[in-house]
Amino acid sequence: MTRDRTEAARPEAATASEREDDRVLVQACLRGHRDAFDVIVERHQRQVYQLCYRFAGNHEDASDLAQDVFLRAYRGLHSFKGNSAFSTWLYRIGVNVCLNRVGSRTHKWTTLEVADRPDNRAERADARLLRGERAAEVRAAIAKLPKKQRAALVLRIYHDLPHDQIAEIVGTSVGAVKANFFHALANLKKLLKSQS
Amino acid sequence: MKHLSRIELVDLIESSPTLSADRLRHFETCAKCRAEAEALRDGRTAALEDGDAEPSPLFWNHFAARVAQAVRNEPAPVAATSWLRAPVITWATTASIVLLAIGITVWRTTLHAPAPTAPIVRQAPTPDVALASPASLPDDVDADEAWAVVRAAAVNLNWDDVHAAGISAHPGDVENVAQELSADERDELARLLDEDRKRNGV
Repeated sequence: MTRDRTEAARPEAATASEREDDRVLVQACLRGHRDAFDVIVERHQRQVYQLCYRFAGNHEDASDLAQDVFLRAYRGLHSFKGNSAFSTWLYRIGVNVCLNRVGSRTHKWTTLEVADRPDNRAERADARLLRGERAAEVRAAIAKLPKKQRAALVLRIYHDLPHDQIAEIVGTSVGAVKANFFHALANLKKLLKSQS
Repeated sequence: MKHLSRIELVDLIESSPTLSADRLRHFETCAKCRAEAEALRDGRTAALEDGDAEPSPLFWNHFAARVAQAVRNEPAPVAATSWLRAPVITWATTASIVLLAIGITVWRTTLHAPAPTAPIVRQAPTPDVALASPASLPDDVDADEAWAVVRAAAVNLNWDDVHAAGISAHPGDVENVAQELSADERDELARLLDEDRKRNGV
């Protein structure tokens, strides 16, 4: 299955009905219906996985991180008050888990984990390899960014979240988010230039 | 005119309609601001070169099953307000613990308070307040009916349970309680302290 960025990891602002559905599912979980949490996982697993992948850099670690995020969400369900969208609350857990776990670890960057997209099947193997290597360079450069800049860049570029939602997730102001995003982009360019 | 701020540059490259016409005019004529915006666009383009790493389609079923299994091993989450639905007996027990803790805190801390260094001056009761004379108050606390209720409620209580419930004395509690005593109550407290000192040979 292939998806473009807009489908795979873009939650945008959750619609009112989606927010209500999530709240109903959370209430069901708290009343003892564990299968309601299975539905929550199914609805949010892609965005959580993609978030974790941006920080982990490889499939195995991303999978472990994503599972940890959902477990922490399950344990802390009673603290979800419904003041924000459930996806925002889940993102907050995810960003904290990722920043705490991968902050000082050596990343196992993979160069060939770009999915084969049907429309690129005609792409030459060497071009695909170069594209994979370039992607790995970008990920390695992003991994060197300070935590807040990295979080702002990942959430804005790869999850297309609006700045006010990012501010809610990382617990800061919209101005601070934009400033971190500014520095992230500027530093990313410098890092890639120095690597090349 | 000042150069565009970091926030304004971010809004510009994201085509956010927040910049005023003046700021846009500055940008069009300022080489420094245009160079900064170009650098930001380059950074964004570079970031987009890392496409989505989509795992195998089979991954999602396997992942969901993994999480479901891990969740089954967890204790069920409980709503923060579930204690409101507890039976009446739990409320009664909680209320008893609270009353008992207050009584024990005042009784124990006052009986073990250091002996006063100066004689206690007893004030005559004010004539416009109807007060019971000290002689009408019980001499023996064990004979006090109210205290008997507290003792009965506490007979099977564990002090650790009380602490675990978050009920404990805090610094200043004794002073706060003492300030709320009436003049007669302070007289009686002083009498009890005197008696205790004499009994213990202090």
